[in-house]
Amino acid sequence: MKFTPIQLEGNVNVSKSHPLIELLWLLGGLVLLTGLVFFILGVTADWAVSKTPIKIENWIGQLALNEFPAEDNPALEQRLQALLDSLPEDSALHQYDFQIFLSDTEDVNAIALPGGNIVVFSGLLELMESENELSMVLAHELGHFAHRDHLRRLGRGLGVAVAATLLFGEESAASNLISKTLLTFQEKYSQDQESAADQFGLALLTRSYGHAGGATDFFSRLEEDAGSKLPYILASHPHPQDRIDALNEQIKKKHYSIAKIQPLSLEL
Amino acid sequence: MIMTNVNTVPGKKIVEHFGIVQGSTVRAKHFGRDFMAGLKNLVGGELKGYTELLQDSRQEAMQRMEDQAQQMGANAVVNIRFATSSVAQGAAELFAYGTAVRVE
Amino acid sequence: MGILLQNFDLVIFLVLAVLGYTAGSWAEKKHYRSINQREKELIKLVVVTAEGSFPPERIADAALVSGSVVVSIDYFKRLLAILRNIFGGRIKSYESLVDRARREAILRMKESAKKRGASIIINMRLETATIGRSANKKKSVGSVEAIAYGTAIVMNK
Repeated sequence: MKFTPIQLEGNVNVSKSHPLIELLWLLGGLVLLTGLVFFILGVTADWAVSKTPIKIENWIGQLALNEFPAEDNPALEQRLQALLDSLPEDSALHQYDFQIFLSDTEDVNAIALPGGNIVVFSGLLELMESENELSMVLAHELGHFAHRDHLRRLGRGLGVAVAATLLFGEESAASNLISKTLLTFQEKYSQDQESAADQFGLALLTRSYGHAGGATDFFSRLEEDAGSKLPYILASHPHPQDRIDALNEQIKKKHYSIAKIQPLSLEL
Repeated sequence: MIMTNVNTVPGKKIVEHFGIVQGSTVRAKHFGRDFMAGLKNLVGGELKGYTELLQDSRQEAMQRMEDQAQQMGANAVVNIRFATSSVAQGAAELFAYGTAVRVE
Repeated sequence: MGILLQNFDLVIFLVLAVLGYTAGSWAEKKHYRSINQREKELIKLVVVTAEGSFPPERIADAALVSGSVVVSIDYFKRLLAILRNIFGGRIKSYESLVDRARREAILRMKESAKKRGASIIINMRLETATIGRSANKKKSVGSVEAIAYGTAIVMNK
């Protein structure tokens, strides 16, 4: 039998597309897909949260509170009560049974936990210089409750994790990748929530004191340490300068007055 | 293109041969199929999605092998063998190889 | 500098991907050139998957010959494969990997047969396997082993 050796040019077994172009297409598709998933999950979570009665939230709150070692503080309670008294009649916040605690930690932060619990860290108190500042921070946290932000974040986070595991199986590389991408979307959403809480806080502060003095003082102090705006693109809070600008704009728009602010009393 | 998996083409005579030809393809399943397979895990039965996937892969591998044989000028491929293996998570490689010949 | 430290794992990931792409495609081109050149040299050695039949007085020696190789993928290809896993379809980055592995295995088998002075290899078979995935499923990169084996026949002069 005759044998004819033939050297083939080209290779049928390898596709001719360029890998970088394929990468671009795939990444574009991934971003689109996760954006869609995030949007749908968000709408569903928001709807579910708005239907959750406050009683259930209080129950979740008790569980969360056990994670933070904190104690009662009557002086803080007094200030919180002053703010709560100046809430409008129809505010949903009246349904909450608010409790405020002080935690002896150096963090400069205050947290709103489900169920009406607010935990203030002592590191934050040390930076405070006026009553109005403290009330602004407390009012900001009340804003989170009014919009039910903490439940939304819980709902979304849960929804994302469940969806990724359902579609890809546990521990697979694809589910890791998708979770990381979704997390990036989540941070941007969180920044919007913070801005909305700022606005609510400003409105409540003005109702309580009659003027908007001291609203931006705390953020100015944060801004000194903040540095460039670049790391804040993916952070959960907006850059302090952006927050100050937004607040000042609102003050101007609503013609809030600025009057004398009261210094912080020594009990704290 | 005639394809057989015996040494000859039954009823014809091989006059010339050109050596090995091979065709291979690597395919991944997408998450939709995975999801349906997960559900099927509960009730049992044929995983139609995966069956289709492997059938398409086999078609493509054989097509590539045929293209190679045609480039060589053959009109039949004898003694074809298949092999499957998994090369990546969630992907399967299927390849077919045989000897390209000319029959009359 | 601060932003780099904050997103450290993202930076590492990008560096590895770029390294994988550049080094990987250079290594691949080099390998293909070597494969093409050696195929040209060894093209006279016949390889068939069929069993031939030969008159016994013409055969001097028959023995099993094999060639095997393990080829690994680079980080960039793995990234493409993961993305493909979401959308389905052909994983083009892996095609060249298995193609190279198999052709290299066949070439090594041919070289081994040539050393014996054989002029034909019959009943060739190819097997592929994956190695290096079972140890640590999350962090592994993946590699392909290809083995080609057949019977080499040395003819009487």
